[in-house]
Amino acid sequence: MGPLIPQGFVNPDLNLLFAFVIGLGFGYVLENAGFSSSRKLAGVFYGYDFVVLRVFFTAAITAMTGILLFNYMGWIDYGMLYINPTFLWSAIIGGIIMGFGFIMGGFCPGTSLVAAIIGRIDAIFFVAGMLIGIFFFGHFYDAFESIYLGNNLGGVFVFESLGMGREWFALMLILVALTAFVVTQKIEDSVNDTPRLVRDARPSYVLPAFLVIFASVLLLVLPSQPRSSWRETDATTILEELASRKHYICPDHVAFSIMQGKDHPVLLVDVRDPADYNRFTLPGAINIPLNEILQRHWRPVLESHDYRVALFSCSDTHAGEAWLVARRAGMKDLKVLEGGLNNFLYSIFLEEVVAERERPDCLEVHTIRFRENARNYFQSGKAIKEVERPATPVIKVIEVQMPASGGC
Amino acid sequence: METKPKPYLNSYLAGFLLGLVLLAAFFVTGRGLGASGAAKSVVIQTVASAAPEYAAENPFYAEYFREGPGPMKNWLVYLTFGVLAGAFFSGSMSGRLGFRVEKGPKISAATRLIFATVGGLLFGLGAQFGRGCTSGAALTGMAILSTAGFITMMAIFGSGYMIAYFFRKLWIN
Repeated sequence: MGPLIPQGFVNPDLNLLFAFVIGLGFGYVLENAGFSSSRKLAGVFYGYDFVVLRVFFTAAITAMTGILLFNYMGWIDYGMLYINPTFLWSAIIGGIIMGFGFIMGGFCPGTSLVAAIIGRIDAIFFVAGMLIGIFFFGHFYDAFESIYLGNNLGGVFVFESLGMGREWFALMLILVALTAFVVTQKIEDSVNDTPRLVRDARPSYVLPAFLVIFASVLLLVLPSQPRSSWRETDATTILEELASRKHYICPDHVAFSIMQGKDHPVLLVDVRDPADYNRFTLPGAINIPLNEILQRHWRPVLESHDYRVALFSCSDTHAGEAWLVARRAGMKDLKVLEGGLNNFLYSIFLEEVVAERERPDCLEVHTIRFRENARNYFQSGKAIKEVERPATPVIKVIEVQMPASGGC
Repeated sequence: METKPKPYLNSYLAGFLLGLVLLAAFFVTGRGLGASGAAKSVVIQTVASAAPEYAAENPFYAEYFREGPGPMKNWLVYLTFGVLAGAFFSGSMSGRLGFRVEKGPKISAATRLIFATVGGLLFGLGAQFGRGCTSGAALTGMAILSTAGFITMMAIFGSGYMIAYFFRKLWIN
């Protein structure tokens, strides 16, 4: 169902309220983590305080893992998330300039705001400088434009750039982060000459670290398909089944099933309009119009193991379409009456099976006899009286409230 | 008399919470956090109000006024209002409010303020090239696994580490 705003789940007037609430959390955490202190921030470059690395890396892998899990559960559509585009040289040059700004100023934009609001005068100067810097960029935009807009690689993923799988990259990043946590803690202790007592008093991170590794391995093992499409059949499989024509059932087979209903139960499903169905249909057929084929209450009927399901329409066009969407939605073992009603009537009543040889083979003899029997059966009116529908589950047509859209 | 400020949050817990905030931002908007975006909006709005002719001629400003509600009625601006409110709340709860200059032991307050201004200037400039700062480009980009996020992150910290030695007097003994 997510992201909410791009999919229109949130009234646009509430967007800015959401922005404010998320900002509250952002600001609160930054300040409370110590990011309002320039000395703590600069510590990451001199080894006396790696709080920036710890918070930054933990946040990145938490959000990354969360997004991947949400995507897997079908709660967020990874394809709709904004990927900041890679303008190669602009990103590198911008990053280098920002590195200078970080060392000299002791803040980055987010942390400077947080520090300024609690009264750090150096942060207020930093913010003022930042505004000047942005104005500077705007003023000389013409000169910067070729760098700014050059080398656009588009919204590429880092795992694509490296030629890795997404989940493998995620696992690697998590392991890198955990290693960095351990190493930087050691550096910090030696730079600060932390007393033994303080080191020993620290909480043990073995369990959380183990949980993080476990979660990341879980990400790898989970199939990459999002949950919303678990039940769907993939297009290649459907194409193969279509090409093999095994989803067709021939008229003789259907006639046989009608006559011998109890031993070879087939549920005939007429996918034409109710009006056509009421005028004429095959004995025992039920009506599921094509546009209702995916409705939830029909699913148990179509997926029952007690009988086979044969879809039919006038020709096999609409029944074929019904088969296609039902198959795509993951239903199995559905059949389509080959040639539809027209072919059924023609085969059973009109077509003369003529033995092509002087001594017709078994199959031909069998077919001729069968068709004669079938004709008699249907014309005598027995079909109407005797045919029983296979025991279909009780169908309760209750309108289930469906989500407005999307795989919510 | 000043009371002693409360200790900071455990870094890993803070990082985890920040990750959840970022995840929430992605879940709601489809894009992550940002801090320099609001500063850009402020600059654009200010310049456009003070010198409309100047802004109209410059493509950097023009695109913000072509359509839409203008630069200030913007997601990142309201996010930043939230950041300021959240930080003020946290700072007041922990007893960290108060006007002062935070600096390394070897420099004067004036030096610190000059370098803070220059640093801010460079960061503001760099964030335009980088299409976002540490939060908007690097952190958000890393969470969504974009190449730009990793490049920007490595460039910021790479250059920071390379020049840290030359600016050590600002921060350490």
